[in-house]
Amino acid sequence: MKAFRRLLVVLGVAGLIGAIAKLRGKGGVPPTSGGWRELEGPDFR
Amino acid sequence: MTIALVVGVGAVGTRAARQLIDTPGIDRLLLADRDDTQLTEVADALGPDAGAIDFAPGDPIPSDVDVVATALPGGVDHTVVSAAIAAGVPVASSDDEHDAIEQLRALSPNAKSAEVTIAVGCGLAPGLADVLASHAATMFEKVDEIRVARTGWGGPACVDTVRHERRALVHTWHDGSWREEHPHGDNLVWFPEPIGGRDCRTVTGSTALLVDAFGAVPRLSLQVGEPPKRARFRRQFGDEGEWGAARVDVWGRRDGTLDCVVYGVVERTAVAAGTVLAVTAARLGGALEPSLHRPGVHGLASLVTPVPFLAELAQRGVRAAAFEGVAVA
Repeated sequence: MKAFRRLLVVLGVAGLIGAIAKLRGKGGVPPTSGGWRELEGPDFR
Repeated sequence: MTIALVVGVGAVGTRAARQLIDTPGIDRLLLADRDDTQLTEVADALGPDAGAIDFAPGDPIPSDVDVVATALPGGVDHTVVSAAIAAGVPVASSDDEHDAIEQLRALSPNAKSAEVTIAVGCGLAPGLADVLASHAATMFEKVDEIRVARTGWGGPACVDTVRHERRALVHTWHDGSWREEHPHGDNLVWFPEPIGGRDCRTVTGSTALLVDAFGAVPRLSLQVGEPPKRARFRRQFGDEGEWGAARVDVWGRRDGTLDCVVYGVVERTAVAAGTVLAVTAARLGGALEPSLHRPGVHGLASLVTPVPFLAELAQRGVRAAAFEGVAVA
């Protein structure tokens, strides 16, 4: 029973770490300055 | 008189057919699909200039057809393209799956000897994104890296392709040569709003088309987003299809400094892909100027001049945007 509880705790912690890693992703940082401008006439010359 | 044949009237083919029928230079539009009910519905909705025909991949191209546009599941259009080369008819294909693109590229010697132009990867990415990369590359004296990313799917066949690509071994273009790698996992890529940040994974996909066009660039990569789960997918696809986005980062040197140009586009994936497919087909068929004639099998970055192509797409409602600010991946 004790081993089973330990297994549950280990699985829970592993799942939590996995979920955090998945949510955070990697390598990407949201752009903090600037924005998107639609391409118009002058861009097409 | 220009007659176009659209093979496959699923999510992308239907939008391409609509764009072609609205192109003044197209006088008659023929449609073919294995689903007779869908085929009849689409043909009826497009009016008297459109008509359904009994055509299946493997059949010879009807004698009066000037250009073919294919929007078929991965690999199916190989026989259509082979038949078109034999008939001397240009083709625009929306296929975006790696093996299928390689099969089509293998037909290039046949297309060259038959003086036929075949455009492959005519969609959002590959397709529009490649043209944006080509446009951005002209702004640099030397290009160091091109990264293309896409999220969004035209229809169920496209979702299957993306699932397959994300699981497969990755071939990347690194320091001027191919490198085989296992899938790396996901990176967060920022697309224009309202799409925002999405997890994307490097895939092989249509990287070869980028290499054909930008072989001198040391690093070329393509990333695709994670497709929805099957149950959620059915709910997401309404009549208008799902929103998608593409982002193109081009790093290079100009005026002696390292700089980056970032282009993005947000549109319903099937609408963007269908419009790119239709504009390419119309140009191949001579129904839109400037017409395209470069015998062989090419991706859009190698085939089209970016400015008039992007201007035509913008006129049809598919507009790209440039990121202005501090570019981050």
